[in-house]
Amino acid sequence: MRKLGIVALGAAAAITLAGCASGGTGASEEGAEIRVWLVGTDTPDEARDYLKATFEEEHPDATLVIEEQSWDGLVDRLTTSLSGSDSPDVVEVGNTQASAFTSAGAFLDLTEHFDELGGDDLLPGFVEAGSYDGRFYAAPLYAGSRLVFYKKDALASAGLSVPTTLDEYIANGEALAAANPGKSGIWWPGQDWYNALPYIWENGGEVAVPDGDAWDAQLSSAESIAGLEQVQQVMTNASAAPKDGNETSPEVGFCDGTTLQLSAPSWVKWSILAPADAEAPGCPDQEENLGVYALPGMDGGAAQVFAGGSNIGVSAKSAHPELAIDALEIILSDEFQTIYGENGLVPAKLSLADTLGTDDVAKAIAAAAGNAKLTPASPNWADVEAAGILQDLFVKIAQGGDVAALAAAADEEIEAILND
Amino acid sequence: MTTVEPALETAPSAVEGERLTAPPGPDASRARRRRGGLTPYTLLTPAMIVLALIVGWPLLQLIVTSFQRFGRAQVFGAPPEWVWFENYADVLSDPVFYGVLARTLIFSGVCVVVTMLLGTLIALMMMRLPKGFRLLLSVGMLLAWAMPALTATVVWGWMFDTAYGVVNHVLVNWFGLEQYFQHSWLIDPLSFFFVAGIIIVWGAIPFVAFTLYAGLTQVPDEVLEAAQLDGAGGFKRFRLIVFPFLKPIFLIVTILQLIWDLRVFTQVFALQDIGGIRALTNTLGVYIYQTSIAGGDFGQGGAIAVITAVLLMSISIYYVRQVTKEEEL
Repeated sequence: MRKLGIVALGAAAAITLAGCASGGTGASEEGAEIRVWLVGTDTPDEARDYLKATFEEEHPDATLVIEEQSWDGLVDRLTTSLSGSDSPDVVEVGNTQASAFTSAGAFLDLTEHFDELGGDDLLPGFVEAGSYDGRFYAAPLYAGSRLVFYKKDALASAGLSVPTTLDEYIANGEALAAANPGKSGIWWPGQDWYNALPYIWENGGEVAVPDGDAWDAQLSSAESIAGLEQVQQVMTNASAAPKDGNETSPEVGFCDGTTLQLSAPSWVKWSILAPADAEAPGCPDQEENLGVYALPGMDGGAAQVFAGGSNIGVSAKSAHPELAIDALEIILSDEFQTIYGENGLVPAKLSLADTLGTDDVAKAIAAAAGNAKLTPASPNWADVEAAGILQDLFVKIAQGGDVAALAAAADEEIEAILND
Repeated sequence: MTTVEPALETAPSAVEGERLTAPPGPDASRARRRRGGLTPYTLLTPAMIVLALIVGWPLLQLIVTSFQRFGRAQVFGAPPEWVWFENYADVLSDPVFYGVLARTLIFSGVCVVVTMLLGTLIALMMMRLPKGFRLLLSVGMLLAWAMPALTATVVWGWMFDTAYGVVNHVLVNWFGLEQYFQHSWLIDPLSFFFVAGIIIVWGAIPFVAFTLYAGLTQVPDEVLEAAQLDGAGGFKRFRLIVFPFLKPIFLIVTILQLIWDLRVFTQVFALQDIGGIRALTNTLGVYIYQTSIAGGDFGQGGAIAVITAVLLMSISIYYVRQVTKEEEL
């Protein structure tokens, strides 16, 4: 009820404000500016241009501005900006962060627009991430999947082939590192915890499971420990990346030749193949040498990888909720989503899966996405991420710390936040 | 025995204890002083109003929040629940808080001492330098002072980068220190604060050096010359003449440095993203941010912020009193 009240208030405020802006003409959208926050560089320019052009064609009196945000500190920025009077209208949020905002009433209730936005065609895991208490607040935007990128010549000269099981993958990484001293057989900076999740899951472990009303952190279970020990093995034997580094620029090591394999979101392909004179330069000459496969699981097939991706919602404080929803409908249109597919991101709609194409990357993406998994679905999970507990944990594991003791300590911290 | 002409009435002065008290002024001036009684307050009013609005109101909000259970839902309009001192009890019984507090106090203490020491030495050097070099040094320091903290941290972070940093490169290739190949400067908390300290001290020295240099130019040359003739060496002259002359400046600059260093945020926050372990390198400013804004627990974050504010204020009040005492003497 309270949330409805907020929405009503927001709508009332919107009408009043719109009334102010439009003067005597009565057209509520005249001069309106819809601000869309997209995060990171994942969304291709082609899609951005399409969104702006289409929206402004449908609403000649309104303008649409795309403001790019960085993933770093996004939860904090959304908390302050969505609650302020100068809120952006449409915002992208990481799928694991969505529930922090849907549960707080930061997003407009889109339940009535569910069908116009794509209905049952939308990626089910992401619809779940964007729903709270049976209401639908944030639609799927796109899904990424994690892939392993490798240098074909390095694998060939070490006499190795693409691995089919997780153990083989680890052995390959160690063999590559041994054959190329000072280089990374599997590049893995210590802060990169997303890549550790498949090891936990493939060994039968979990990060946290619901236990009645509470959450029970599982990193110190025997299964998770087995996975974490494998993580330590890879970080110690196969990776030459900084033990406390972050994963933001994987293309640097790949292009200067010190990284032979790395696991990263699928769009990293475009970072690697970026022009050599770009602001974040890549190495397009490596295109022929760049191989890709889905991380193999324990028993073959694709591993359960982290289902990264984004949701997108309308701010409850948007001054023009109607226009914002129209913009959202364009974003979820087949045309817009097809651009994602053509650029290696999994579109928000199941029916558009074939837009990914048929090359190696597409096959790997499809294999990985088919077996992707999410972090615990708690509104407090975003706080676990923001507190950097997992980053700290894996930096310490990379340093060679005692896995069982570190996992037990991390469990305690995670439970303290999830059950707060 | 001589008699004094009563026509030449001198104002009697008196010695009270050891202080010389002025003779009572004529009635007219007393009236003027009374009339002037309101003027200072009138002049203060606009500043007080501005301060009350931009500092007082948020401070009041902060205190109110610190007595509530205030999460992200409350930010978006849900009514908060009053818990009074529960947040404070939580904070004060949390060993993590004391770790952060001790780390902050020690770290800022070291930073202030190093900054003051180097700042003073540079100011003294500027007195001796020929004009051209002094200009060069001033421009260099101005550039360091003008550099935004975030930019500085990112650039210093690159220099100390594990894989591609110039520091490791120089240590390995020029000095043959192989142990610095791929050496991580941030992973060990002590080494993390060494890097953070360099960035903070580097950014703070220009202010100290310029302020003290301005003060040094006001120390009368004749006194120094006299001391030199009496055989006082450079250090003695500094200790017995220059330092007492500049004591108020030293005090004020030290307080400012201490306050700035105690609430340091940007350098530590940005450096944590580059590397290191957050839980072992949090200082008060970063810890407040992490608890309230990133962690969504504004009540508890508010309580930590209030405790920090009280701490900063008590340190400042002590020093401000010292300064006013100096001025009274």
